[in-house]
Amino acid sequence: MKKMIIVLTGVMVLSGLVLAGTFASLADRIEANRIAALYASLERILPGTDPVYEELDVEGPTIYRATDAGDITGYAVRIQAQGYAGTITMLVGVSPDLETIRGVEFVEQVETPGLGGRITEPEFRRQFDGLDADAPIDYVLNIEPDREENEIQAISGATITSRAVVRGINATLEPALETIRRQVP
Amino acid sequence: MADTTVHRSITTEFMKGIVRDNPVFVQVLGMCPVLAVTTSVANGIGMGLATTFVLVFSTLIASTVKGGVPPQVRIPVYAVVIATFVTIADLVLKAFFPPLSASLGPYVPLIVVNCIIMGRVEAFATRNRPGLSLVDALGMGAGFTLSLMVLGAVREILGSGALLGVALFGEGFSPMLVMILPPGAFLTLGVLMAVFNAVKAKNDPVLIRT
Repeated sequence: MKKMIIVLTGVMVLSGLVLAGTFASLADRIEANRIAALYASLERILPGTDPVYEELDVEGPTIYRATDAGDITGYAVRIQAQGYAGTITMLVGVSPDLETIRGVEFVEQVETPGLGGRITEPEFRRQFDGLDADAPIDYVLNIEPDREENEIQAISGATITSRAVVRGINATLEPALETIRRQVP
Repeated sequence: MADTTVHRSITTEFMKGIVRDNPVFVQVLGMCPVLAVTTSVANGIGMGLATTFVLVFSTLIASTVKGGVPPQVRIPVYAVVIATFVTIADLVLKAFFPPLSASLGPYVPLIVVNCIIMGRVEAFATRNRPGLSLVDALGMGAGFTLSLMVLGAVREILGSGALLGVALFGEGFSPMLVMILPPGAFLTLGVLMAVFNAVKAKNDPVLIRT
């Protein structure tokens, strides 16, 4: 009885120590990887020669401001939407005057590969480039989208995912742009 | 007739994990990662190696300490040991192979409940010396990794038209989407299992006689 408690406690303490050590020695690297992935995504939607991205200190969704040699090159808003299989996390880049969408990058998504997962492909992603950031986006199925009307083409067979992305942007982008306008003179 | 079971050689002990007792095609263990992550060869290899790592260290420890563990807490102790190595594997993947870690997702932490590991610890490591247990674990790990590689290769070629991320066919190729979806996993596994066992039966004198 006593031995059993000692052995199990001993094993658990030892396991805890080993894991604490492993975590302590790898935590910095894991965090650096996360930041590198975030920067890579930001750089794809808001490129520059020597871009700097800083997180704005605001309420609500996370907003990054991109500067290149002192000039603001745009903002990126972190948007989450409930997709078909799980949460879709994306970064939406907007121009410095907050009027045009510069690009959409998907940070995390677990949609069905080959169907909803195709949102990460340029054919879908790049449709958002140049759309009006201030007006709601609409999606169409199987017909040519009218870019003047802020339309994009949904992925065939993955309407739920496409709709989730569009609705996520519509719900979060406008308030985020308002926040930027209020915060930044 | 000589009793062959007494003179188990290291080679036999290693090879049985790949052919005779292949964890995927013969024992049909650990089906959750087998079906879920084999959408590409890289995923298959990654999952196979992570599982082998956990398997090797868990069986080594279990076969070393087996005398000191009271039977009442045997399973909890092994569970803690396995969980420890799974967490280490998960952290190492996150730190050094972030893209692979992202594509394997929750299936790395889920190695904890992979029955191959508890199976080998219980069925082999607790009854054998550390040296032989290590060979057994390496063999089982190799068998698991190779099986996942083959499954991943078939599914990636048919479902994405690529191998290791390199496109194999021209623009005109339209991939069989179903192969990278769950039904494709079951279809591929079933067909490969049938082929594997047919070939195995042909080369096994015992099975031919019966």
